[in-house]
Amino acid sequence: MSERLVTFPHMGEYWIAFETLVRELGATPLVPPRMTKHTLELGARHSPEFVCVPFKYNLGNFIESLEAGATVIGQAGGGCRFGYYAEVQEAILKDLGYEFELVNLTSSWSVGEFIADFKRIAPGASTLRIARAFAIAYRKAKALEAIEDRVRKSVGFEVERGAHDRVVSRFHQRLRDASGFRDTARLEETTLGELGAIPLDKPEQPLRVGVVGELYVLMEPFANHNLERRLAEHGIEVHRFVTLTSLIEHGIRSRPHVRKLLGDADPWVKYHLGADGTESVAMTWKLMQDGFDGMAHLKPFGCMPEVSAMSVLQRISREHTFPILFVSYDAQTAETGIRTRIEAFADMLAMRARGRTSA
Amino acid sequence: MRVGLPRALLFHKYHTLWTTFLEECGFTTVVSPPTNRRILERGVALAVDESCLPMKVLLGHIDALAGRCDAVFVPRQEAFERGEHLCVKFMGAYDIVRNTLPDLTLVTYDVNAEHGIDERRSMIAMARALGVRAGVARRAFDRATAAQHAHEVELARLQQSVAEAPRTGDVRILVVGHSYNLADELIGAPILSYLRTLGAEVVTSDEVDKALARRHGAAMSPTMKWRYNKELLGSIELYRDLVDGIVFVVTFPCGPDSLMAELCARRIEGIPMTTLVLDELAGEAGVRTRLESFVDILRERGRRGHLREVGS
Repeated sequence: MSERLVTFPHMGEYWIAFETLVRELGATPLVPPRMTKHTLELGARHSPEFVCVPFKYNLGNFIESLEAGATVIGQAGGGCRFGYYAEVQEAILKDLGYEFELVNLTSSWSVGEFIADFKRIAPGASTLRIARAFAIAYRKAKALEAIEDRVRKSVGFEVERGAHDRVVSRFHQRLRDASGFRDTARLEETTLGELGAIPLDKPEQPLRVGVVGELYVLMEPFANHNLERRLAEHGIEVHRFVTLTSLIEHGIRSRPHVRKLLGDADPWVKYHLGADGTESVAMTWKLMQDGFDGMAHLKPFGCMPEVSAMSVLQRISREHTFPILFVSYDAQTAETGIRTRIEAFADMLAMRARGRTSA
Repeated sequence: MRVGLPRALLFHKYHTLWTTFLEECGFTTVVSPPTNRRILERGVALAVDESCLPMKVLLGHIDALAGRCDAVFVPRQEAFERGEHLCVKFMGAYDIVRNTLPDLTLVTYDVNAEHGIDERRSMIAMARALGVRAGVARRAFDRATAAQHAHEVELARLQQSVAEAPRTGDVRILVVGHSYNLADELIGAPILSYLRTLGAEVVTSDEVDKALARRHGAAMSPTMKWRYNKELLGSIELYRDLVDGIVFVVTFPCGPDSLMAELCARRIEGIPMTTLVLDELAGEAGVRTRLESFVDILRERGRRGHLREVGS
């Protein structure tokens, strides 16, 4: 049998963790080519017209990877349309004439099925090997998240432009090569040290904005047109709470997590809104109470769980004059439109803050 | 006490259950009128822009009930069976309404098989909270489920009668769409009636034995997780050999339907299909033209098929 080349969808820089996972499982990873406009065009051309945009990005990644020789695709899923992506994407790609095997990781949160799925990615891998591969990949994802969290909070205040990016790109390179837990932990620590040494021009009380919403457009800067960075560049400390590992942890403990969210989202929602909708409401309410200056709510156009959340978010924003920037993304979203709206939003926050201090 | 029922979403599936239950509990029921332009316009104004059309219709109906009843009935459904899902709008409907129209008094009950919250217990608890005696609520539930069951048996019988009856027109079309779209006066009804005007015989995806349809739907698409989309898929399987063409009625921007229609276009062969995507701006003229040309195509195919049979 020919070599198994395993590919996966892009999401931010998590490809480093996915690549490690596949490699540690004993298979050969094929990292999809970097996202470009062409990726989206390819995906959109073969997708149903008004399916949510992450479907189109994923499909574009798969086509580009299959063209590069991939033979196995790993796809995940979630509590909304995302849970049905894999079967439809498989049908589309087969109709396009590609030959491959799709491993659908959406089936359940049960450990047994998870292991069975991973064995389909790398036949012959022992359970121990799978556990170790998952743990190392998970640790790398954690390291990525720790670095990105720090960058979001400080990049807007760097004295020398590009200082953070230099450290981060070196970090990505080294994280890719990191061989195990200790290596990864040490790398995370040194990188945080390097980031901490970058000279900042940061006010005592900077503007703080939380970024909330649908997981994919939150975590894929290409899809959200670099919203976090653009906000930061206006002298804003950017906070985000949804990460891949937080989603996995909440997925495993979904029932107590939803119960907690419903407590946090009280009195605004009584029942779980589905997918990450309740989370968005709970976070908005928390950010407001924590004295954040504003919030950005991101979602793919027509994302039903987030549209449900919006009816609550709009009310919170109205009744508590809490500024929220609502952004919807589809395949036609223009970069300039996003940039202008972010600028106007940042100006408004700065004005409000000046009004507060002079009062 | 007067309880208002919006003629929207699952009302079109469960009106028998709900009205029977509420009336047996001693309440007066008030149902909003069939959707009209005004109701839709109010719904569009109240809803978040990107809401799907059925959600806009729901909000319009709720607005139409304001002032005409003491409380509006907005149930919340997550799952009727374990491992099965409903579209998230059914999970969110109650809280969406509550936050869109905060001054309205609502009554609700929750169905969530995943968490062991079943319909019987929830509906009885709702009635108890409104001051209905336990025995009365239990009896009301039994009568309501019996009535609902009879209604569903009738739908299944319709399926049987289509299979057995001789055709009444030269083309027979299966219209596939959610009951809340097909039964809506403004969304689905004009499509069904126009097809009949064109001389087509129409059957709908609602006229099936639901449990049977869900089993067929699950077989057609193993990871299909939405209960009502399973029913729609299953209806295709049950009817495909009895009809000449299939019309999908999809409301913008329905997630489950957009993926389901895509899968059907790729997996179902040998039968003409067309998809109508409707939103609040959909003009009747455009829809009519599409339907006319589709019926023409089916007639043309029918003639050719007939010629082939004669020739062979």
